Amino acid sequence: MEISFICNGRKRMAAISGETRALDLLREDLNLTGTKEGCGKGECGACTILLDGKPVSSCLLPAAKLDGRNVLTIEGLKGDGGKLHPIQQAFLDSGAVQCGFCTPGMILSTKALLDNNPAPSVSEVEVALSGNICRCTGYGKIVEAVLLAAERLQVKI
Amino acid sequence: MSENKFSVIGKPQIKVDGTELVTGSAIFAGDLRFPGMLYGYAARAGVPAGKLKSVDVSKAVAVEGVVDVITSENIGGPNLMGIMPPFDQPVIAKGEIRYAGETIAFVVAESKRIAKKAALLVEADIEAYEPVLTVEEALADGARKIHPDGNVTFTRKLIKGDTAKGFEEADLILEDDFETSFQEHAYIEPEAVCVVPSGDNRLTVYASCQSPYHLRGQIAANIGLPMSKIKVIQAYTGGSFGGKDDVAAEIGILAGVAALRSGKPVMVAHDREESIIGSNFRHAIKIHYKTGLKNDGTITAREVKLLLDGGAYASESPFVVMKALIHAAGPYKIPNVFVESTAVYTNKTYAGAFRGFGVPQVTFAAESQLQEAADRLGLDALAIRRKNALRPGDATATSQVLNESVGIVQTIDAVGKRAAEIAAGSEDEADEQYLYGTGYASLIQGISNGAEGIDVVGASVQMSQDGSVLVGTGLTELGQGSRTVFAQIAAEVLGVPLDRVTARLVDTDSVHDSGATVASRATTTGGMAVFKAATEVKSSLLQMAALMFKTEAENIVLKEGFAVLVFDETARIPIPDVATAAYWTGFPLMNMAFSKAPDADYDHDTHQGKIYIAYNFGTHMMKIRVEKSTGKVEVLSHIASHDVGKVINPLGLTGQVEGASLIGYGLGHMEKIEYENGIIRNPNFADYAVPTIMDRIPTEVISVEEFNSTGPFGAKGVGEPPVAGATASFVNAISDAVGIRFRKIPVTRQDIMLALRNRGNQEE
Ligand code: FES
Ligand code: FES
Repeated sequence: MEISFICNGRKRMAAISGETRALDLLREDLNLTGTKEGCGKGECGACTILLDGKPVSSCLLPAAKLDGRNVLTIEGLKGDGGKLHPIQQAFLDSGAVQCGFCTPGMILSTKALLDNNPAPSVSEVEVALSGNICRCTGYGKIVEAVLLAAERLQVKI
Repeated sequence: MSENKFSVIGKPQIKVDGTELVTGSAIFAGDLRFPGMLYGYAARAGVPAGKLKSVDVSKAVAVEGVVDVITSENIGGPNLMGIMPPFDQPVIAKGEIRYAGETIAFVVAESKRIAKKAALLVEADIEAYEPVLTVEEALADGARKIHPDGNVTFTRKLIKGDTAKGFEEADLILEDDFETSFQEHAYIEPEAVCVVPSGDNRLTVYASCQSPYHLRGQIAANIGLPMSKIKVIQAYTGGSFGGKDDVAAEIGILAGVAALRSGKPVMVAHDREESIIGSNFRHAIKIHYKTGLKNDGTITAREVKLLLDGGAYASESPFVVMKALIHAAGPYKIPNVFVESTAVYTNKTYAGAFRGFGVPQVTFAAESQLQEAADRLGLDALAIRRKNALRPGDATATSQVLNESVGIVQTIDAVGKRAAEIAAGSEDEADEQYLYGTGYASLIQGISNGAEGIDVVGASVQMSQDGSVLVGTGLTELGQGSRTVFAQIAAEVLGVPLDRVTARLVDTDSVHDSGATVASRATTTGGMAVFKAATEVKSSLLQMAALMFKTEAENIVLKEGFAVLVFDETARIPIPDVATAAYWTGFPLMNMAFSKAPDADYDHDTHQGKIYIAYNFGTHMMKIRVEKSTGKVEVLSHIASHDVGKVINPLGLTGQVEGASLIGYGLGHMEKIEYENGIIRNPNFADYAVPTIMDRIPTEVISVEEFNSTGPFGAKGVGEPPVAGATASFVNAISDAVGIRFRKIPVTRQDIMLALRNRGNQEE
C-alpha cells in the first residue's frame, strides 16, 4: 500500500507491505538509521520516535500507521542556527551519553516530556523515561541532563 | 583532589565523540548499507546436549531469496574459535551439541527476514543426551564428558603461608557457602558485523566489538586467509562490558565465510534473543569461604574454594578462574591464604568475560563473611576493614609487595567521613513501614592483563601542518570514554586545545596489535602508548621551535596552542607555524608507539609473585530501606570511593563508576538468567530484569588519587571495580535491614518477601 506522512518536516511517500514495521521503513527505506533496534519487542525504547509529538516504539508500530501522521526522528531534532537542540547539548554537558545507543530514544522521550511539561519533577522524569533502558550510565546523569535541558529551555522562553 | 597543574587532564571534558551520538549520525555496524548486501541468520540447536548426526538444509536453500546456507563443512579453516587455549569452540557445531544456543547452520539471504524464516527450516538429526546442568553433576564420578578431556575447563591454586597454622591462631572461624547467578551483559546494541569484500583481494570487517585484533586473527584462521588480508574497523559500538569478543568473532567468521563465497557484503545483526542465548554470561559461581580472625578483627587465615559454571565452552574461563583466585583474599594483608579456583563445563550457554571478571562474585562472598565476623566480634564495619587493609610496603595474597598507589585506607576514611555526614543529616529511622540497613564493602581489582597474558598496546599520534592532531590506538571505545581520554592525553602533551585533537576508532591496519580492551586497561596501558607517541611528536616540535627561537629545546614549553619561551611568556609561536616549519625542515610529525607493561612474574603452582602492574582499590557504602509489606528496596545513599591514581576526565570517571555500580546492583538484587532443562526461560528484557531508571541508585563518587607510575599522569583504570563494590555493599545492606544473612545472589524482592514472612512467622 501507499502511505504519505510528514517526517522531520518533509512530506514522504512510501510503498509498503503489510508486515513492514515503522522502524524498518525509517531505517531501510528512508535511511534514518539514528532510530535503533535494541529488542524488537517494545521492551527497550531504543527505537522511540515521536508520532504527533508522542513517544512510540517504532518496532511495534506497523508502518501503515504512519499514514497521514507527523513523525520526528532524532535526525529531525535541531537547535537554532544550526546548533544542537538544547536537549542534545544538555545530554553532552551532563555526561549522559556513553555508548550512545540508547541516546536517540532517550532524547526523543525527553522531548515529548518537556513539550508537555516544561518543568518536570524528578519522578515525572523517571516515569517519562521508564521505557528507555540504558545499560551504560546508571541513569543519574540522564536525569541531570533532562533537568538541565528543562531549565535551559525555560530560560529561553 | 590535588591541585591541578594540567590544562586538559583532570578537567571535566565532554565526550569527543558525543555530537554524532546525540544527533543519530554515528554509524553503528547494523546501520551500514552496501550495494548488494546480504544478511545472515543462524539456525540454532534448540536442545542443550546431543549427538549431531546430520543437518539437512535443503528446505532452507529452497526458499526464494536465500543465497547460501553454510554448514560446518564450509568453514575453510579449523572451525574453532576462542580467545585463549584450549580453543574448544566450533564456529558451527559438528558432531556434538553442547548448548541449546549453538549454531548448526548459517543462512544467507537477500533480507534478514528471509534469512530468519529460512533458518527455521533447517533440520537437524540430533540424538539427545541427558544434559549436564550443574557443576556438581559435571564433576560427579562417571559424569558424561562434555569435552574429550573431561569436564574441568581450568583449575588453579593460590598458596600463601600456612592456613592450618593461621586458623589455630584465630579466635573466631567462619565457614560459609555462597552462590551467584549468571548475569547477561544486556548492552542495548545487540552484536553486529558487516564483512565487505574490498576488491583488493582483502576483506574489510566493520564490527561492533571489543577486540578488533581477536576478530582479525580468528576470521583469518577460520576462512583460511592470511591475517594481513583482513582489515577490521571498529564501528561505533553500543556497549560491550566484556561481551562483544567471542560472539563478535563468531559472527565475523560466519559473515566472512559468506562474503567470500558470495563475493557480496554480508551483514549479521543479532536479535535480542540471540544476543542472550548465543553469547557469554558472567559466571555463576559456587563459593566456599572460611576465614579466621582474632578478637581484635585481625584476619589470620582465609581458605576459599570456587567452582565456576563455565557453560559449554572455555571462552575466557581460564582468565576468570585466575582473576577470582587472585582477588579472593580481598584488599587485605592476610598472612595465610589458600584458594582453589576451578571452571567446569556444563551444557549451558558459555560464560566468559563480564566487567569485573570474577572479582564481583568473590568480593560479594568475602565481604559478606567479613561483615558477619565484624558483627559477631562487635567491631565497626569500617574499623575491621581498616585494620586489615593493605598499606604501602605490604604484600598481597600473591606476596606482591605494593610500594605505591595503595589507597585502600584513604577510600575507607573517605567513605567513613561522608557516611557520618549523611547519618547526621538523616531522620530517625525506626518506623512502621520500612526496615533500614547499611552495608559496607572494600575491594581490590588488578588493572590490566597481568597474569592473564602479555600486555601490549600500539598507538599513533600524528600532527598535521595545521597543528591538528590525529590519535589512534588499538583499544576500543565502547562508551567508556577512551577516545576522550586518549585525546586529552595527546592534547596535554602537545599543548593544544582538545578541539584540535581527533581520536579515531580502531582500524587494525594502522597500529600494532593491541590485544583486547579488557581489564580496565584502556586508560592505563592505552593511555601510556598515546603518551609515548605524543611525547615523540612533541620532541620534534620542541626541536623546531628551538631553531626558530635560536635557543635550546629545554627552554621551550608547548601550551595553549603555542610554543612558548620559558623566560618570556610573551614570546610565543603558534603551533601550526611550528608544525609547518617542522614538516619542511624534516622533523617527523608522526609517531607509532608501542607500550608494553611489565610482565607478570609468579609461580604457576602457588600464584605467588608479581601479578598486576597496578591495583584499583575501593570502598562502598550503601544505605537502603525495605518496604515491609512489599519487599521493595529503595537505595537511600550509595557512596563509591575508588583510588584511581589520577583523575583524567572527572565527567567520564563518574559516569563509569555510576554505570558499573548499577550493573553491580543488578547482579546483587535483580538479574538472573533462568534455565529449565538447559533452555533459557527469560531471553528478553520483559523477563530478564535489567535495571531501569526506576531502579537507579544515587551513586556519589569520591576519588582518591594515589599516584601510579605505570599509568599516564599517574592514572589507573576504574571501569570494572565499582561492580564488585556495589554488589557486596548491597548484600550487606539488605542483610542488615532484614536481619538475615543472604548468601545467594541475586537477593530479589521475592527472596526478601519470603525472608520477611519467615521472620514474621518465627516472631509469632
Ligand atoms: S527496539 Fe523497540 S522497544 Fe526495543
Ligand atoms: S549510553 Fe549505552 S545504553 Fe545508554
